[in-house]
This record gives sequence, structure tokens and C-alpha cells, in this order.
Amino acid sequence: MSLNIRLVVNGRRHAAKIEPSISLLDFLRDTLGYKGVKICCNTGECGACTILFNGKPVNSCVVLAADAAGAQIVTVEGLAEGDKLHPVQQAFIDTGAVQCGYCTPGFIISVKALLDRSKNPTAEEIEEAVSGNICRCTGYAKIVEAIQIAAERLQGRS
Amino acid sequence: MEYFEPKSIGEATSLLARYGESARVIAGGTDVIVDMKSREEPSCLVNIKRIPALSYVREDKGFLRIGALTSIREIEMSSLVRQKLPLLWEAAHQFASLQIRNTATIGGNVCRASPSGEMLAPLLVLEASAVARFARGEKKLPFGELFLGPGKTLLGAKGLLREIEIALPAERSGSVYLKHAVRGAMDIAMVGVAVLVTPDAGGKKAKDVRIALGAVAPTPIRAKSAEKALRGKAVARALVEEAARRAAAAAKPITDHRASAEYRRWIVEALTGKGLAQAWKAATGKEVDG
Repeated sequence: MSLNIRLVVNGRRHAAKIEPSISLLDFLRDTLGYKGVKICCNTGECGACTILFNGKPVNSCVVLAADAAGAQIVTVEGLAEGDKLHPVQQAFIDTGAVQCGYCTPGFIISVKALLDRSKNPTAEEIEEAVSGNICRCTGYAKIVEAIQIAAERLQGRS
Repeated sequence: MEYFEPKSIGEATSLLARYGESARVIAGGTDVIVDMKSREEPSCLVNIKRIPALSYVREDKGFLRIGALTSIREIEMSSLVRQKLPLLWEAAHQFASLQIRNTATIGGNVCRASPSGEMLAPLLVLEASAVARFARGEKKLPFGELFLGPGKTLLGAKGLLREIEIALPAERSGSVYLKHAVRGAMDIAMVGVAVLVTPDAGGKKAKDVRIALGAVAPTPIRAKSAEKALRGKAVARALVEEAARRAAAAAKPITDHRASAEYRRWIVEALTGKGLAQAWKAATGKEVDG
């Protein structure tokens, strides 16, 4: 049995026929082609597939695509404006907070969500915001630095 | 796989009555989707996420009522929960990652009935009830009787959890939830201990003591003998240590990749002692002495 859904991804409307058991991760990658959403643990533990679901960060591997009917989704592809990267993306590049890069889209989305809800996050808030994202290269110090710089730039402080 | 998105509780319970054991209920999905990927798909999936008005936290004449579809994050962000049920707030705060807290529901955590389910030991200590709907009507199931084994509750295949009902604990009570895990909140608890202590009017004796243990038996359990060691008695260090030993004796842990049974028993003893001291301090402002 299949199901028709409509949703908005990065501001663009999509309509699709889906299997009810498919995860939002598989749907975004394989049906719609948003490959910036990474598949890794596929069990909700590593954060590589993090997206914004109606503004909130979730692991798309443990959400049903069916639940996204009517939802607003943002993936890492939706952050840049044309050629201009989002301040969070630029801060990750400027600080070298990227090693192999596989976890980076998930981190960037978690950080975007953090800075949407807290303009001037404390060290504790930063740690909490990305505690569900694993960097297997263990480059956390640079990532935290990138988050602090992104917060400052978004506030126009540097 | 047959798939349904019932729009009312009544519609959902009639589906469960019709499909019985072959139906699987899905709410947030953080457990069910993983199962569907790693094991077999159920022959029928009942997605209750579209049933309206099942996500709320409200106070009602001495009770806090939490709708089954309330996310763990909503519980964590609720000022009502933080103020009235700090124990439940703590468990929500230590619940996996932000991404999972945004998705997982309290109803799912309860119905999953994992021995290590983060919200369960606190709900046992709070003596909460599960308000469940069956095709024939509604039943109120006390948490003390709700859990039958891993993944098994009194709801069976045909009941649908509608609401968690929690009587507000005495104003002067103190409570704490302690979790032992390697990777902090992200990790599944090796041991979870929830403690609630209500001192008497004089602030010397423990009028009421409740202790619940998670991840150390096939279901979350109350450590009744440990509670008895302190109830009605003047709270002193030797008695707290005795209660902690009894809690460890009540635990029936398994050895697995997370920890050995012996280690888990030690942790139960340590956390129960610590939890009682912290709860007593939260309630009375005083350290346990003597």
C-alpha cells in the first residue's frame, strides 16, 4: 500500500507517493535527492541525518516520511543564499571544524537550531545542542570554536 | 504492510481490536522505526500521531496530566513540570539527545516498557497512573502494576495509552533521579534510581520514602524493603546505608555489554545512598548526619 504526501523542503514544495514504512531520511535522500542528509548509524544515535522538522532538530532516520506530510523541512542544502554560505557554514570552514566532513551537515543543522533559539548560547547550551551529534574524527574543540564564532557573527559582533 | 492514521482514539482502539497482535502502534517512532529496519515489518502499522489533542501538560485539582503524545522535549520545557515534578523534569532532561527528545513521546517510552526506559522509575516513584482506552471503555492502571516484562504492559495488544495522571507530591517532599551511563544522557542507563522523600512536620523523620530502580530487573521496580528501612524513622546515615544495601539486594540485574550484574548491584547501592541523601537535603535543607 502507498500513500500520497505533500511537504515543503528548503522552501520548495514536493508531492510524492511513498511506502508508509519509509523513513524520512531515505525519502529525502533517495526520492527527493537531498544527499546532504547523511545516512550513518540509521538508529537515532549519531546525528548525521539531523534536519529541521518544523524548526526543530530531529534525526530523520527515526521519523516516518508519512509524519512529514504537511511539514516544513530544512536540510543543509537549504541554508546558503545563492553563493553566500550561512554564517554557521562559513564559521565551520574558517575554523577548520571539518575533518572527514561526514558529520558536518548534521552538526550545522543542530547549530542552526541552537542559534535560532538562543542568540548568545552558554558553553553548556552549546554542549547540549550538539551532544546528539557524533564526530568520529573527534574534532570537537574546533566545532565548539566554530559555534562561538557563528554566534558572534550572527549578532554582528565580529 | 497495512497502514492506518486514525484521527480519533476510538478509531485507533477499534483498529487494535480488529488487528490484535499483528498491529503495531507507532507514536514518535524512535524505537519502532529502528525495530522495523532491523527486524520484520509488522503486518499492520497504526500511526497515532495524527490523533488531535493528545499532546499537553496541565494541572488539574492536585494532579498533573500529561497527554500520551507529549514529546520528551515538551516535558523538559514545561515550567509546570519543572516546578511541580522536578524528578520527572530531571529524567526528561537526561533523556537521550535533543533530536530524540524532540521526537520521542512519553506514551511511547511507557508503552515500550524497556527496563531502562528513562521516564519509568520516576513515574513509579510518583505513583502515576496510565489512563488507557480499550474498545469497551477506559481503565486507570497504576504504574505499580503496569509493567509485566520487557515490552509487555497491561495495555496488551488492544489498549491505547491516552494520558499519564500524576498526583502532585507533598509540597515539602524532595526528589531526585540519578542515572549511571558511560556516554551521559545519550547513553542507555546501566542503572537509574529515582527517590522521593517526604519528611514529617518536625523535619527529623521520613514520613514517606519511595525508591524505584531502572535497568536492573525485567521491569522497572520499587525497592519496597529499602523504603521500609527508613519509613517513619529518624533519618541517619546508618539507616540510609541499610536502605541502600536493601535496594541493591532487591535488584535482579543481568550481565550484558553495558555492565556486569555485580557492578550494577554496586551502582544501585551507591546511587540509592546518594539519592536518599540528596532528596533529604532537597526536602529539609539539611545533610543526613549521624
